[in-house]
Amino acid sequence: MTNGTPVSIIMIEDDEGHARLIEKNIRRAGVSNEIIPFANGTDALNYLFGADGSGAVSAGRQLLILLDLNLPDMGGVDILEKVKANAHTRRSPVVVLTTTDDSREIQRCYDLGANVYITKPVDYDGFAHAIRQLGLFFSVIQVPETP
Amino acid sequence: MPISQAFFQRSNALLLAIGIAVLVVIVATSLWLTTASERYFGEVTAARAVRSATADLLSLVQDAETGQRGYLLTRDESYLAPYNTAFSRLPDQRARLERAAARLPEIGPILQRVDNELDQKMTELAATVDATRKGDTETALSLVRSGTGKRLMDDLRSDLAAILAVSETELREAIDAQVTASTRLRWTTIVGALLILAMASAASWTIISYTRELVAARREVELLNAGLEERVRERTDALVKANEEVQRFAYIVTHDLRAPLVNIMGFTSELEAMFKPIDAYVTAGNAASPEQKAAAQEALSIDVAEAIGFIRSSTRKMDGLINAILKISREGGRELRAESVDLTALIETAAAAVHHQASAEEGGGIEIDSQVPRLVSDRLSLDQIMGNLLDNAIKYRAPDRPIRISVRSRRERRGWVKIEIEDNGRGIAGTDHERIFELFRRSGAQNTAGEGIGLAHVRTMVRNLGGDIAVRSELGKGTTFTVTLPPDLAAYRRSAKA
Repeated sequence: MTNGTPVSIIMIEDDEGHARLIEKNIRRAGVSNEIIPFANGTDALNYLFGADGSGAVSAGRQLLILLDLNLPDMGGVDILEKVKANAHTRRSPVVVLTTTDDSREIQRCYDLGANVYITKPVDYDGFAHAIRQLGLFFSVIQVPETP
Repeated sequence: MPISQAFFQRSNALLLAIGIAVLVVIVATSLWLTTASERYFGEVTAARAVRSATADLLSLVQDAETGQRGYLLTRDESYLAPYNTAFSRLPDQRARLERAAARLPEIGPILQRVDNELDQKMTELAATVDATRKGDTETALSLVRSGTGKRLMDDLRSDLAAILAVSETELREAIDAQVTASTRLRWTTIVGALLILAMASAASWTIISYTRELVAARREVELLNAGLEERVRERTDALVKANEEVQRFAYIVTHDLRAPLVNIMGFTSELEAMFKPIDAYVTAGNAASPEQKAAAQEALSIDVAEAIGFIRSSTRKMDGLINAILKISREGGRELRAESVDLTALIETAAAAVHHQASAEEGGGIEIDSQVPRLVSDRLSLDQIMGNLLDNAIKYRAPDRPIRISVRSRRERRGWVKIEIEDNGRGIAGTDHERIFELFRRSGAQNTAGEGIGLAHVRTMVRNLGGDIAVRSELGKGTTFTVTLPPDLAAYRRSAKA
């Protein structure tokens, strides 16, 4: 990404296979940023907001969050809500990447402040294409440093 | 006594008919008695007329005789005045008696005699008066002395007395008859009035009791109506809930089946791509460069294994999902057996199965307070519900304190049974209170194994038993699951079918 600051991609995805496929395709798009994977919401929240839940640990980080809505332990929407409600993380772009194509769910995510919503297509070409497009998006967007 | 509509109509019509008949009889009797009364009154009047005419006639004849005697004694014309007056009025008086007597046929023969005697008497009187006027006093006196006049007068007197007697009898009889008729009329009226009153009372009684029954019946119908609306509302709510659940279920199933499918498709494509370096290496044969060889080796040993591993695990996952769905749908289709279940014993058995885990630490344990000894339900379902909830209470414990579980059962409104399972475990976040009942969904830290089926299964079973399950929980404090069940599954299913 630009100006050499290390932007970390936080990937919250419970399905290991999906995580691997996403990573492969992001790499193929030429994005070489660090990808930090989380298989459940609890661990991801711990990383984002710290043990005290204040979000102070994220201060100074440059984060881009890739979020799956269907997690085993909590709803991805809850995570999105928390991220967008926290002063330290609310400016971090959130890309919702999920199998759900329910229009109400999509609306809800945008209402809560999601930046991009992508439905995982079942056919792989579509899937790979979508992720690569996302990679291009990653390479051009500016990610602010979290306050 | 309940009154049927047919009975009500028949009895009312009958009473009305009887009432009308009685009225007709009264009116007819009254008319008849009034006519009779009139007739008797006519008879009385006639008898009176005969009496007065007879008396007047006698007095007139006596006047005439008195005048004749006076004249014969004095030969003074002025004494003849009563005689003249009587003479001139006699025809009228006779006609009056005749007219009056026409109503009393039995005096006809007497009247004829009287007519005869009157004629003779008047002729005798006239003869004496004429003789005296001519100065032939001797002849006149001899006529008087002959006694014909006296005899005629005596006959006349006795005949008129007979007429009087007849009319007297007639008068008395007529008055008696009139009195009898009046008495009869009075009694007829009294009896009729009483009868009509009785009919009216009977009719009023049937009308009042029938109306009272109608009011009671209507009240009952209104009550049933209200109950019906309530039931329709309950059923509609249940249907809406069930429908939402089915939609949610379908959504979850399709989504969860789609996720491994993405993996299978993805890694199959990846696999295809991996064969390219291998293919290149094989095609090159001995001319293959070391790079080609390395790439082919890497693809074979690492990437292919990884792809196959993911494909395999995804297929396994799909299989697991399908099995879980099958299990739940089979549970929904299982024939429930309503039997009397000893709830206290059932809770104790379920608690005993996890007791060693709960009381492994100092201060831990399971407390049971069952106030509902029995209910009629499906034993197997109840076993599984209790087992699952107690397992969860142990599984999602708070690691920093001994496990304490409390199981309570209470009777609720309309005999429903409420079972509460309270634990002091890790609790469930408020946002996940609905989610935990959904298929394949779990809540909180995933530090224990599980598929996210247990509570979905429990809720399906509880609803099959006609009840519902709710959760009350605070993160970090503990959780209380509340199961409410109908007291009699068989009765519940009957009413649900109705």
